[in-house]
Amino acid sequence: MPEVCDTALEVRDLTRTFGVRRALDRVSFDLPRGAFLSIFGPNGAGKTTMVKVLTTLTSPSSGSAKVCGLDVVQDAVELRERIGLISHNPLLYPDLSAEENLLFFAEMYGVDDSTDRVRELLVSVELDHRRLDLVRTFSRGMLQRLSIARALLHRPDVLFLDEPYSGLDPHAMDIFDSLIAQIREDHTFVMISHDLDKGLELCSHALILARGRVVLAAERAAVDSEQFKHTYRATVGLGVA
Amino acid sequence: MRQFKAILRKDIVMELRTKEMVTSMGIYAMLTLVIYQVALSQSGAAFDPRRIAAGLLWLAFVFTSMLGLNRSFVHEKDQGCLEALLLSPVDRPVIFLAKAIGNLLFLVIVEIIMIPFFSFLFLQQGSYQGEFWMIPLSLLGGSIGIAGVGTMLATMSVNTKGKDFVLAVLFIPLMYPLLLACVSATTAGVLGGDGHIQQFWTGMAAIGAYDAIMIAAAWALYEFILGA
Repeated sequence: MPEVCDTALEVRDLTRTFGVRRALDRVSFDLPRGAFLSIFGPNGAGKTTMVKVLTTLTSPSSGSAKVCGLDVVQDAVELRERIGLISHNPLLYPDLSAEENLLFFAEMYGVDDSTDRVRELLVSVELDHRRLDLVRTFSRGMLQRLSIARALLHRPDVLFLDEPYSGLDPHAMDIFDSLIAQIREDHTFVMISHDLDKGLELCSHALILARGRVVLAAERAAVDSEQFKHTYRATVGLGVA
Repeated sequence: MRQFKAILRKDIVMELRTKEMVTSMGIYAMLTLVIYQVALSQSGAAFDPRRIAAGLLWLAFVFTSMLGLNRSFVHEKDQGCLEALLLSPVDRPVIFLAKAIGNLLFLVIVEIIMIPFFSFLFLQQGSYQGEFWMIPLSLLGGSIGIAGVGTMLATMSVNTKGKDFVLAVLFIPLMYPLLLACVSATTAGVLGGDGHIQQFWTGMAAIGAYDAIMIAAAWALYEFILGA
């Protein structure tokens, strides 16, 4: 049974450089367990780099980050069992069926009751009737629903959402919202979004990044929406587009 | 072991479904051998093509394997699948081993198709004096090195802009010592003659040493390569 910790994210002076460019520059913040963090920022602000570091896909150049108390470098393998990622890319094999994709990832994560778990998730994302169809035949909305099932397979504590609404039509967005609402209570969320209204509607905490630095980090209840939007628009001018 | 089997099974299922790698590699290899045969068709009766047949076979095989190795990682890059694989709690060398074994399997299937075709084109003239078993054995030894080193280099090149070019530029120089040993061992099997047994086993010893060193290096470096 994985250890439960009160702080989902502890980020301290996190820096990531690519050559001479600093994608993240001494970023520090905390996020309590069960929170929903929306990260905003212009293109090139370092949002995706931050998610890549926090999901162990890339290493920090300096500083530290812990997710569920586990260090992203030292405890990377153990940490990967506690996190899930839903991206604008479906992260699914197009030449495998929906069921084959989920069974493959269930084996990669060592899910005990894999067949039952896969079936349960396919039902919950309303794709059970298409479970034997190749993923390449799926619409964008169906791919995103299957992505949610893939990300939840191993019952992660923290879910990272990297522009999950990108390319979804309004109906698919509604379905996505209802699926997220169903699992909202049991998970900590970190979402990258360009949609201020959507991001603010969902979040309990908000963070603005520009040029790799934290411009604003606050609890949602403590910030006025209009003031927040004004701050965001001001930071867009700082961004590296 | 569970994750190794899952990745290997996934690659086999996808290849059985698309037949992309084996079909493209098999057809490419056959066409290359046909072109070599046509190129040598005017060389006259005094010229024995068996003297260079092993070299031609390995040329065809190296070019063919580059085609397949590139494709093996293109699948992983599709729709961010490699990212999903890297997000799972799997030791990176396990990914290397599973992908390399998958690539080796597909290379061996192509070889099984190629050898009879090669024999038909190049080993029919005069009386065959070599030892045929040496040919598939040297091919297998060489293929292990190609799959190991090729999997490592395909991983490095998949994120680059001109990945086909990058793979070729890295692959052929690194393959050079292996190719020398492979051509020597296969030539012993094709030509026979005095000292061919010694020539074969000397070649095989070099192939074995190359395979062991390069696969150990790829295993050790794979985590760094994926993180770079």
